[in-house]
Amino acid sequence: MAKSRGENGPRAPAAGGSLSGTRESLAPGPDAAAADELSSLGSDSEANGFAERRIDKFGFIVGSQGAEGAQEEVPLEVLRQRESKWLDMLNNWDKWMAKKHKKIRLRCQKGIPPSLRGRAWQYLSGGKVKLQQNPGKFDELDMSPGDPKWLDVIERDLHRQFPFHEMFVSRGGHGQQDLFRVLKAYTLYRPEEGYCQAQAPIAAVLLMHMPAEQAFWCLVQICEKYLPGYYSEKLEAIQLDGEILFSLLQKVSPVAHKHLSQQKIDPLLYMTEWFMCAFSRTLPWSSVLRVWDMFFCEGVKIIFRVGLVLLKHALGSPEKLKACQGQYETIERLRSLSPKIMQEAFLVQEVVELPVTERQIEREHLIQLRRWQETRGELQCHSPPRLHGAKAILEAEPGPWPTLQPSPSIRLPPDAPLPGSKGKYKPPKQVQKEQRKQAKASGQRDKPPTPSQAKVAAAAGDTCPPRDVPPKDLVYQDPQDSAPQDSAPQDSAPQDSAYHCSQESLTSQESEDTYL
Amino acid sequence: MGNRNEEDYNFVFKVVLIGESGVGKTNLLSRFTRNEFSHDSRTTIGVEFSTRTVMLGTAAVKAQIWDTAGLERYRAITSAYYRGAVGALLVFDLTKHQTYAVVERWLKELYDHAEATIIVMLVGNKSDLSQAREVPTDEARMFAENNGLLFLETSALDSTNVELAFETVLKEIFAKVSKQRQNSTRTNALTLGSELGPGEKKACCISL
Repeated sequence: MAKSRGENGPRAPAAGGSLSGTRESLAPGPDAAAADELSSLGSDSEANGFAERRIDKFGFIVGSQGAEGAQEEVPLEVLRQRESKWLDMLNNWDKWMAKKHKKIRLRCQKGIPPSLRGRAWQYLSGGKVKLQQNPGKFDELDMSPGDPKWLDVIERDLHRQFPFHEMFVSRGGHGQQDLFRVLKAYTLYRPEEGYCQAQAPIAAVLLMHMPAEQAFWCLVQICEKYLPGYYSEKLEAIQLDGEILFSLLQKVSPVAHKHLSQQKIDPLLYMTEWFMCAFSRTLPWSSVLRVWDMFFCEGVKIIFRVGLVLLKHALGSPEKLKACQGQYETIERLRSLSPKIMQEAFLVQEVVELPVTERQIEREHLIQLRRWQETRGELQCHSPPRLHGAKAILEAEPGPWPTLQPSPSIRLPPDAPLPGSKGKYKPPKQVQKEQRKQAKASGQRDKPPTPSQAKVAAAAGDTCPPRDVPPKDLVYQDPQDSAPQDSAPQDSAPQDSAYHCSQESLTSQESEDTYL
Repeated sequence: MGNRNEEDYNFVFKVVLIGESGVGKTNLLSRFTRNEFSHDSRTTIGVEFSTRTVMLGTAAVKAQIWDTAGLERYRAITSAYYRGAVGALLVFDLTKHQTYAVVERWLKELYDHAEATIIVMLVGNKSDLSQAREVPTDEARMFAENNGLLFLETSALDSTNVELAFETVLKEIFAKVSKQRQNSTRTNALTLGSELGPGEKKACCISL
């Protein structure tokens, strides 16, 4: 959003005027206009008539990162239809994930209805399962005193996340309080990880859609399953992903790639905030939500694709490069992207159509990892391999397990006898009873898979990371790693998972993802 | 200033802001380049920068000010950040002694990554909160003197000394550049980089 130069905000008379010259106001970011609105009020916005500010449908003060310009609204009938479809999916989640995952993916690509978004994110990310597996855990963390070192840093950040969103605008308000609780809980849950500043915007986005406890578990899933290592010491994972992004760019946009090479622009100079905050600080809000819908379903490849699309359209042609003669101008261009390329409909279409797959990302990961080891030695932080989306996460952690049982979680060993008929999952009796109750309530009955359903199921299963790649000598799957991640043992044999015992293999038969 | 040509010189000086999270780097940047301040400016993640062109004598100097996250773990990704920097403002919060206590670590970080000849100013920010002061001026000034650093106390909030801080650093850099220019042959002067005639747009950073 263009902003006029220095007309607003608290100003002091130029001291002595010893320096003359122009002040260049380069695109200061999406919050600029609202910064004018609020900065003159200081932080006591509510007391100073904040209630009179206009708030958009996302909760942002009009003029800030939220709705910009005319929105393409989904027609109400379509929205209602989508809502009932999603309600059906959420009520029969395990079945849909097992047999109709492609449909879920398609619906995530179309955008989750706002009324169900928070719930859907919990289901997609496995946060809901995590919560059920860990009853009372968040409360325990919430009530514990945190490490003062982390608390100090977290407190400094509370008023610096989406300060133009009504939820976070008040110092010490409920939004900031919940943000504190969630971030503090994470430092207690994973003390070896501690706090990384980019977790704050992530947590804030989650809190805009669900209460603190649910937001906490979704944050856990993001930090451990979707983007492991992103927020850890040394930030090695983000550095590797920067190299992967740049490498993938070569095929996607040779022009952009060449330019960035020649200008010697390190990927970290443009992709750090993009990736670590999952674009929540970059895109207009409606686009952020669409990206996150797809991200929760399909994993980090969406983040890569968004980055590639932005790079391609910002720097992908000689005309566009005319204004980017130097390193500085190029980076500046990437920081003030044209609204057209970030616009919801355009961006989503480009992302869905970009043929960049998990397999390519994983392959490139190995290449970059090898290069790292050759030039910089071993990685200092060993993160578990990432899981590429909702299906992979679900298969790595079968559940939900009944929360009433005394022992916190029960995992079937991989070679446990699989009860029930072919292709059908039979959970322990109590869960089965609950499921039958649920099925009755939603008016459906558990049926053995019909031939057509089996076909749909067979076509699914494209989200598994390539198991055919020998894992033993990969540093990032180091078995000596004593990280508390629970995905390691389960990742090793998804085919043996008690949950998925149908005919089709989980490793995709197709070489590339397909898109409807 | 000595034997200068009438022709204008255009330079770009890259200056980096370093220091602990929350000391005010981002607001020093916005105050200097856009005359703006916000209590709620976003946590810096990744790299930010802004520019401002100033006149030093008859020379037009474009100050390219870089800003990044102060949190410890971000130091793992900052080597690109320091590349080509000719000046640095090492900022601490004079109301938080902890942010001053780690200044030596920041200096080491700086010298590990940047040119040894980089001009450094120690900046004690938030002077508007003098009633909450935890770092005595004299102590900080002494440290700066002992370590060959410039020193000022600033307030990005009320603008005190912000212009002066940047101006001083830029002048020091410029003096160094000019001296090198005078001491070198013409060929060497050209290899310093961005010596441009009037109207030329392209510029690049200078490494001293």
